[in-house]
Amino acid sequence: MAVSRLTAAVCRQFQRVVTVSSHTQPQCATQAFSRFHLCQRRQTYDSWWFRSSMNNRALHTSCVRKGLEEFFDLPENWGEQTVKSGAPWTAKQLRVKSNEDLHKLWYVLLKEKNMLLTVEQEAKRQRLPMPSPERLKKVERSMKRLDTIVTEREDALRLLQTGQERGRPGEWRRNVFGKTFWYRFKEHPIPWYLNSRYKRRRFFEPSHVAPYTRLSLEKYLRSKMRKDKRQKRNQKRLAAMFPKKTALA
Amino acid sequence: MLGNPQLRIFRPTFNLTLVRPGKEQPPDTVQFRIPLEMTKFDVRNYLEKIYSVPVAAVRTRIQYCTNKKRNHLNQRVKRPDYKVAYVQLAQQQTFQFPDIFPEKDQKHEEGSVEEMQEKFMEDERQRQKSDPRRGGVTEWFGL
Repeated sequence: MAVSRLTAAVCRQFQRVVTVSSHTQPQCATQAFSRFHLCQRRQTYDSWWFRSSMNNRALHTSCVRKGLEEFFDLPENWGEQTVKSGAPWTAKQLRVKSNEDLHKLWYVLLKEKNMLLTVEQEAKRQRLPMPSPERLKKVERSMKRLDTIVTEREDALRLLQTGQERGRPGEWRRNVFGKTFWYRFKEHPIPWYLNSRYKRRRFFEPSHVAPYTRLSLEKYLRSKMRKDKRQKRNQKRLAAMFPKKTALA
Repeated sequence: MLGNPQLRIFRPTFNLTLVRPGKEQPPDTVQFRIPLEMTKFDVRNYLEKIYSVPVAAVRTRIQYCTNKKRNHLNQRVKRPDYKVAYVQLAQQQTFQFPDIFPEKDQKHEEGSVEEMQEKFMEDERQRQKSDPRRGGVTEWFGL
């Protein structure tokens, strides 16, 4: 209970940080987020706002290097065997966020992924084990979930505004081999009847292919029938092994 | 204005990997591995907008990786190709690839598995060492 209140307070704090800094510099604001709620690993809020005074670790010869520093982990994590990291973002957590927050989170996750890939490649180069490789999977899953939620929102908006189910128009067509597939339209500067390369691509099946289409259809139906029969047989066997009378008793 | 509108990508899916250069590079050059579909302009905009790194020049090349290796079923296995970008930084900035895996003295907890393993390895090493009383003379010389 106390933990949830703490997380809610921390979330609210981050929301405030995001709204305050959004009109100043989006890049600084991205660092306010991290992959999980309780920002243990990086004191990103601190390091970005007070970078020059605190923890000024000089890595390289020349001046401002905060750009390329983001390709590497925090210097205190170099050489560690394991690096602590939190849980990935779930779809439920992401659905609550606004579009601006999701946009910023995408870039945070992207930079984190670049950093992890850099560390992975360097570990392979030095022939050493990469510290905590599960972080990569977590980031990839978070990004995938973020993408699904953004597409959900886009689909909903498009359906409400235009009634179109898909963003890119297309239609079902039959190719030369008799297979039906979803053809996605491309943009061309000329109509199709002037496009010689498009005309060579036939979207009908020739008459001698029809028997093979029929055979493949029969094969598919046969396999479906076999699967249904197998399932029914299995259910019957289980019902014979565990009749309902014993369950009630 | 002629032509299609400017292509803008929101939420890019490109991943850049900073790599240590195999051959000696000038001090202002940074080496990246980028997806095959990225161009020099993409790399420049990516670094300038997302990482705020000033870029002077970008040169790319495609590294072809072997399709000759075979697996246990004697099938050819392709190692995926990748594109390498050599980015030169503007404003006379330099970059030196840091040492990400420095040697650190690990102190394991008392009674943990790693501590026992370390002790075991130490004992093994002691056993393998020759008798110090022989003064560096090998076992080949009898007595």
